[in-house]
Amino acid sequence: MGKIIAVHSYKGGTGKTLVSLNLAATLAKRGKKVCLFDLDFRAPSLSTLLKVEKAGFWLNDYLNGTCEIDRVLLDLSDRIGNSGKLFVALANPTTEAIRDMTAKDRKWEMRALGRILALRNSLLGDKGFDYLIFDTSPGLQYSSINAVVSADLVVVATTFDRSDVDGTRRMLRELYDLFEKKTEVVLNKVLYDVSSTSGMGQMQAKVKDLYQVPLLGIIPCFCDVLRGEGNIVFAQDKPEHPFTKILDGIASKIDGMS
Amino acid sequence: MAEKEVLGRKPLLVLEKIRENLERLNDKMEVMIELQKHGRKDFQPLPDAPLDVMTLLSMPDHLRKTAMTVCRLGRATADEISQQTTRARAVESAYLNQLVIMGYLKKERKGRKAYFYVDRESKEGT
Repeated sequence: MGKIIAVHSYKGGTGKTLVSLNLAATLAKRGKKVCLFDLDFRAPSLSTLLKVEKAGFWLNDYLNGTCEIDRVLLDLSDRIGNSGKLFVALANPTTEAIRDMTAKDRKWEMRALGRILALRNSLLGDKGFDYLIFDTSPGLQYSSINAVVSADLVVVATTFDRSDVDGTRRMLRELYDLFEKKTEVVLNKVLYDVSSTSGMGQMQAKVKDLYQVPLLGIIPCFCDVLRGEGNIVFAQDKPEHPFTKILDGIASKIDGMS
Repeated sequence: MAEKEVLGRKPLLVLEKIRENLERLNDKMEVMIELQKHGRKDFQPLPDAPLDVMTLLSMPDHLRKTAMTVCRLGRATADEISQQTTRARAVESAYLNQLVIMGYLKKERKGRKAYFYVDRESKEGT
């Protein structure tokens, strides 16, 4: 059976969506059947980044119990251009929908957890998906913890910003550990020279020391990513870019995990 | 002939009833033992408490493990839970019954088996 990966972080702006989107595209390019979920209901962004203007049904509808998951999935495989499959399940970006999602009660959140957990049977089991990738809200939001609880692997996007480091360490201890989740870290916006072997070794040691979990990848601060202004899916549009190569390395590690 | 059959079945039904009652008694004893172990003599049952992730986070570790496994399996017996957690069936049975009393899980008997599940559909949320 396939795997569910939740991409989470303590603070916003650490690169969760960048990593989720490019990881999904990279895995699909490697021939996998992948579905990317926008579980950031407070600030949905995948519909904009993927330039999908209209969706018949949103992930919100599935969690509300008004439709089944296959009505929500959009097939974007034609953008990948090989044997891989890329589907997306988008969050409704309208203000009304965001307001509605922030006003849910605990009973609703409990049912939402049940529906997210059910994706394992419906998509990984019946539909034969290899990977479900959950892009989440930062911090301790209900939707994010639902995603973490349902996941096989939690990828934590983090930077060396002091407030992010402290918060991430707390989350590792007080969230992922409590749910006994396999967790790995992606260091983003790194300013060191990661091309040198010693630099990489130092970084790995520093992450191990700080977080006590494995380092899945290091992403330097690429001006090209900022210049792209969210218009470029690097794994799809810039196959030779170093960022794409790094994501390919991360995808390869994930693919090799038991 | 018909009268003989009725007479023949009656002791079996009585025995079956006794067995069911003994099992219920056993469940209750397991809960009491569990509560005593954790010094919770002042335990107050909560009716239909939602088992959401924040509740899971605030639970003691031993109960979280059991509750998480029920969430993942959807509906399971103590035996099935114990296979996942690799703890003894009697231990899981005690934790499951404790979670039922706390209002987080529901329990349903089908024949000789008792199934535990999260009742997600009982009340409408917003």
